[in-house]
Amino acid sequence: MNAEKNNTILLDHGAGGKASHALFSEMILPLFSNEYLAMGDDGAVYSVPAGKMAFSTDSYVVDPIFFNGGNIGDLAVNGTVNDIAMCGAIPLYISVGLIIEEGLPINDFQEIITSMATAADRAGVKIVTGDTKVVPRGKADKIFINTSGVGMIPEGVNVSGSRALPGDKIILSGTMADHGIAILTAREGLTFDGDLKTDSAPLNHMVKTMLSSGCEVHVLRDPTRGGVGTTLNEIASQSGVGMTLFEKDLPIKKPVNGVCELLGFDPLYIANEGKLLAIVPEKQASKVLDLIKADTFGKNAAIIGEVTDQRPGKVFLETAIGGQRLVDMLTGEQLPRIC
Amino acid sequence: MGLTYLEKFRDPSLAKNLVAAIHKESRLTLRLMEVCGTHTMAIFRHGIRNILPETITLLSGPGCPVCVTAQKDIDAFVAVSRQPDVIVTTFGDLMRVPGSGTTLAGQKGAGADVRMVYSVFDAVTIARQNPEKQVVFCAVGFETTIPTIAAAVLMAAKEKVTNFSIYGANKLTPPALAALMTTPGVSIDGFILPGHVSVITGVDAYRSVFETHKVPSVITGFEPIDILHAVLMLVRQNESRVPALENAYPRAVRESGNPKAREVMHQVFTVGDAAWRGIGLIKNSGMELKPDFKAFDAGARFELNLTDVAEPKGCACGEILMGLKTPVACALYKKVCTPMTPVGPCMVSSEGACAAYYNYG
Ligand code: SF4
Ligand code: SF4
Repeated sequence: MNAEKNNTILLDHGAGGKASHALFSEMILPLFSNEYLAMGDDGAVYSVPAGKMAFSTDSYVVDPIFFNGGNIGDLAVNGTVNDIAMCGAIPLYISVGLIIEEGLPINDFQEIITSMATAADRAGVKIVTGDTKVVPRGKADKIFINTSGVGMIPEGVNVSGSRALPGDKIILSGTMADHGIAILTAREGLTFDGDLKTDSAPLNHMVKTMLSSGCEVHVLRDPTRGGVGTTLNEIASQSGVGMTLFEKDLPIKKPVNGVCELLGFDPLYIANEGKLLAIVPEKQASKVLDLIKADTFGKNAAIIGEVTDQRPGKVFLETAIGGQRLVDMLTGEQLPRIC
Repeated sequence: MGLTYLEKFRDPSLAKNLVAAIHKESRLTLRLMEVCGTHTMAIFRHGIRNILPETITLLSGPGCPVCVTAQKDIDAFVAVSRQPDVIVTTFGDLMRVPGSGTTLAGQKGAGADVRMVYSVFDAVTIARQNPEKQVVFCAVGFETTIPTIAAAVLMAAKEKVTNFSIYGANKLTPPALAALMTTPGVSIDGFILPGHVSVITGVDAYRSVFETHKVPSVITGFEPIDILHAVLMLVRQNESRVPALENAYPRAVRESGNPKAREVMHQVFTVGDAAWRGIGLIKNSGMELKPDFKAFDAGARFELNLTDVAEPKGCACGEILMGLKTPVACALYKKVCTPMTPVGPCMVSSEGACAAYYNYG
């Protein structure tokens, strides 16, 4: 493929002919290189150990595609890696479907797939199969990415949103709302003081450490869209338990909190891409917390609340000044206040 | 470790002392109204209602610009978005407020060019970038927002951005308070007055309402300590039966407010009557473009053929905004009307009383 002549993605790149072949073999393959992909077959063939598998898929349509701390590419890899890890599995293989809008600069494409390769490396997963389509200008927004993945669940591991028990502690692996606020400020061109960066990160190593420590873990979930508030509501109703959170213990970065205050957003409902919620028996909570804190992506972890048998299905927050309020599910998108 | 400035206003031990003082000093049964929607939200978010004595009821007032935007005005925004080659720009919360037919968000879904902006100046920028389109800004807001809207109109006039216009539905706070006080059935023992609005209006703007009706009034900020402090001051005024107009937010609000901002506002706008949703027409409570700036009036620029329509049956927003009812007393609350299927704006706006009850109740 001649990058001098064509510095944007053209419809030809998706037509299945020479240009498609060049895009794959010259740009994509060298980055994602592994023995399965190199086979060039219609699908990947691999062996798996006996036991339980986890399988997950997600599509990424984030706008803008580049933001502070990452881009749609690493987000798409980390997202699926995390979804598999939240099942208590060790992610192994992922697939990548790229839907590209005609006219996307080749440089942007290069940057996106490079960060996908880096993210896959960092997570220790292989991109074993994939697909590229190019659609005419206006039929997609720059680039959409679908990733699916599989992973193996180690023996004896049983985590599920329905396993939270009264008395359990709720751990959040770091500061809330970083990703959502980074996207918002990038999208709206808002400039604020302070470093507003996505927290997009793979959490599978953290999960593996937790699970192989012998500690019992009842629930794992990454609070992405809908944030910590909505995710905990889901778990509370899945498990038929109540929850109490403590505002004073909720980790949040100052600049992120500042933007939330300014726009009237509740950080409990803002998306995270590199955080997990772990619900664990009380007697193991501090050990699990220490394990999480020892991970690169878990430094600011904290116990943020506890599971109760009061008011099943509902999440309450004890506010810093001693009040109490309901933390309901988020309905729709949060919109900024007017003044 | 010293507390930063803002953390002081959330300090749990300070809060505890204030709450204790309120419990100790409060004897009378009091109905206090927080006029401003941001106060309503802060009260719910910090769980303030349930740490006050049972004798104190906090009521939400007509202080959320989204909630008080008349249905007719929402219909006008929607009608503008139906015009060819028009970009409608609006602040976020307004997107989901139901008009008589649809919402701006619905229009956007149907293909209209409706864009959310964070500042009216963004709307002017969009106009500059799209000279072949008409860019209309839905101007809702109180004294806090009006000066900026005025400044944007001035800028557009100066730079000859002729494809920019506003559809005005701005409102003033003090006339609404006066109207409240003369509405039969309304009984309020104290006003928690809005901090942001008062930064512009100053304390002076409330003086004549206060002198006429002698309702205890305290201007305050939005931190929990601010609000608790204001409640304590209102309790004291009531217990001692010496109503006063006090400023508990001197770190932001001056007696005379911000005359410069008001000057800009009055350069572009003149006071007129305005329709408030659920309440009706309030004399001298709105802002109209002055003749010199009529060119920026979207209402004149487009032929909208609006018909007057009744507000949704059963929606008690008006009574809620006047402190006559609480959301739970509305027959539609939680049954027909939820944040997913809002009947009235109070359920839509992030500052709306019904939404606050629903989400944080
Ligand atoms: S416009 Fe200002 S005063 Fe009114 S509700 Fe919003 S923040 Fe409060
Ligand atoms: S609950 Fe809904 S219908 Fe009732 S007053 Fe509130 S917004 Fe209107």
